[in-house]
Amino acid sequence: MITEKKEFLKPKKVFIPITDEKHKMATTKVAEGDQVKIGQLIAVKYKGKEKVNIVSPISGSFEGLTQKLDRYNNITDHIIIKNDFENTYEPYDKLQGDLSSAVIRNRLADFGIKEVSVDGLFTDIDFSYKINHIVVNAIFINEPFISIDYDFIKDNAAEIVDGIHLLKEAAYAKTMTIIVDKFMDQEALDALGEELSDTDIELRVINRKKVDGADYRVIKDLTQEKLQPNLLENGVIYTTTHAVKMVYDAVRLAKPITKRLIAITGDGLKKNLLAEVTIGMPLLVVTAMLGGYEKGDLNLHIGSFLTGHQVENDSLSIKENINSINISSFTPQDEEVCIKCGDCNDICPAGILPQNIMDAELRNVNERIFELHTDECVECGLCSYVCPSKINVLEWVRRAKRRTN
Amino acid sequence: MEFKMIKPPYKYNEQRSYKRLLNLHIALLIVSFFALVLKAFYFESASEEEFKLSFDILRSFDSFLLLIVGVLTSVIVEIFYSLNEGTVEKFYQYKSYVDPINTGLLIALLLPSNTPIYVLALAVIIGVYIGKIVFGGYGYYIFNPVLVGVLFAQISFSTNTLVSGTPLLVLKDVLSGATTETFNLTRLLLGHYTAIAIGSTSAILLLLVFIYLCVTKVIDLRSTLSFLLTIILISLGVGYITLGQGALNFSLINLVTGLTLFGAVFLVGEAVTSPTTRETKIIYGVVIGVMTMLVRLLGDAAEGVVFAVLLGNLLTPFMNRTVTRSNKKRLIKTVTYSLLIVIIITISIGFILQGRLQESYEAMAFIGGIL
Repeated sequence: MITEKKEFLKPKKVFIPITDEKHKMATTKVAEGDQVKIGQLIAVKYKGKEKVNIVSPISGSFEGLTQKLDRYNNITDHIIIKNDFENTYEPYDKLQGDLSSAVIRNRLADFGIKEVSVDGLFTDIDFSYKINHIVVNAIFINEPFISIDYDFIKDNAAEIVDGIHLLKEAAYAKTMTIIVDKFMDQEALDALGEELSDTDIELRVINRKKVDGADYRVIKDLTQEKLQPNLLENGVIYTTTHAVKMVYDAVRLAKPITKRLIAITGDGLKKNLLAEVTIGMPLLVVTAMLGGYEKGDLNLHIGSFLTGHQVENDSLSIKENINSINISSFTPQDEEVCIKCGDCNDICPAGILPQNIMDAELRNVNERIFELHTDECVECGLCSYVCPSKINVLEWVRRAKRRTN
Repeated sequence: MEFKMIKPPYKYNEQRSYKRLLNLHIALLIVSFFALVLKAFYFESASEEEFKLSFDILRSFDSFLLLIVGVLTSVIVEIFYSLNEGTVEKFYQYKSYVDPINTGLLIALLLPSNTPIYVLALAVIIGVYIGKIVFGGYGYYIFNPVLVGVLFAQISFSTNTLVSGTPLLVLKDVLSGATTETFNLTRLLLGHYTAIAIGSTSAILLLLVFIYLCVTKVIDLRSTLSFLLTIILISLGVGYITLGQGALNFSLINLVTGLTLFGAVFLVGEAVTSPTTRETKIIYGVVIGVMTMLVRLLGDAAEGVVFAVLLGNLLTPFMNRTVTRSNKKRLIKTVTYSLLIVIIITISIGFILQGRLQESYEAMAFIGGIL
């Protein structure tokens, strides 16, 4: 458990990626040399006719474009903004009281609040689907090793509850659920409970020490139907308390996303801590301020251990959808032969049989792959995690899944 | 700074295949050691009331020799194969010896102490080569190599591996009503009886090893427990139908003697040859349990575990093919159906043993003859 917290909010320059894996097209809305304010529209990225705004997290001057590595380990175009340290905001109204759905949606679209939590089961905040349930995870998750920032929940309980209501209003959702940890700090739970008492938000308690996809079961219990890999198709927005706080800030305080709380961990670093980092700040600046790296071969992992990405270079810039960064040494593990113990079959939260799917994929039996409900896999990565032979079961299931489409 | 890219999975839990193999290895060594030690103790006086125990290490020398020969043969076969393949470097580490030693020990433990050494050596060669290496080594075989070897010895050298006067054989006579017999429970629990195999030793020891292996997740609790429960249920039912009062004793002797517990610990829960989902694991246990009791009660052989587990291995690919997913509904369905089948089989075995079915069949055949 990490207790130290530090702020990294004064970058000289920020680099903001304007395209990503989903949105391949983007246009900039400012010219070189222009002055930009916090919250000003600087670029728009497209996927088909969907568009997502990109707003500036700092005030300063626009310095053009460069190509850099992003968090998915791809080279993409980044906007460079030089900080003038004046923190001038683009004027937006602070919206108070009961708000209509369209107002909230417009504000979230203006600030480009969409992809705020992408790893694992989490969904985008996307209103193009018919949404019935809002599920918010109050556990700062990095499965299977989890660090929780209870102070965040304690200080922002009211904002979180209001943010959930705003999301519900915007999405015309029917139910609201918040998932908390069984071993939660009592003060944080009290603070949250006080705010939740008069609302119709349901509180679900899960045991974070067991790595068994408890959130999947909670959502399955809510929807009572077969879950898709993209939960939006089931009418569920599943997001984190941090994302909800961002929604609250955008609507009530007229503040765009300027910073993100990130757990920076691993034995490759001199110091492990929770860092509040300005969006667009390169990771190498943050780690340099932490005192650099330990010697030896290290690997850099962005996001959850089960579903995140490896990145080959620390020049990537922080985005609002990064919740944890791990830099650690590693010992290469040899893959052993499958001993057919069935641990993956037992753990799978979707109730499908990864070992049998892997077997069918190895034997190239399309019919069998289809029969085994391979399309229900949500790619949570638990099968690879429990495998005693260190086989990447998830990759085999993914390969099989490609056949079903 | 540049970072190394590692391939997923990035994080694992503490379970490792090799650790499981090593735990099995330790358990086997413990069982072998205690089997030898317990064999060395014997009653000096003929009467069982006087617990005057004597210790003579030479009494377990033949068993010790068999275990050594089993292990050596198994390791030598594997090393010869590796020499041929050019992968002999792996034998520089102890890691590669664990599985061969396990197989050799298990085959030796499953044969009686009066087995000739050449029979054991042949059984190990057949088990390791035809049962394991031909299929591709540890993790790939369809049949448990141990059982292949043991069955080979039992079928081809049936007179050499024969043991008479085991509790289960005595029970057969009791069931047919020829004799009555009193067993001493303490002696049975400590393994002081004419055992069908070296490994069929103290029930208490095997139970402790069973718990150890379950905790370390080497063996699967579902298949082994359903196997044991099936045996208990069938023996209780059959005992009640045929013997009436002695049902509990009948069930207990079926549980603690023979290869029941040894099979539950080392054969039924074996991961590679058993099915992979929890529903099929339960069915697997039930099938083996039923088959064991069928052989024991209706067949000629004294012990049915080896045949039964081999039959279970035979059904494993089929069972794996029948499942499509795993959920609570299916689990409940499986348990209910298994229970029903076990009860039906219990009743039928009971009536067959009593001869009622035989009588009714003859009566029907008689009527058929007239018409």
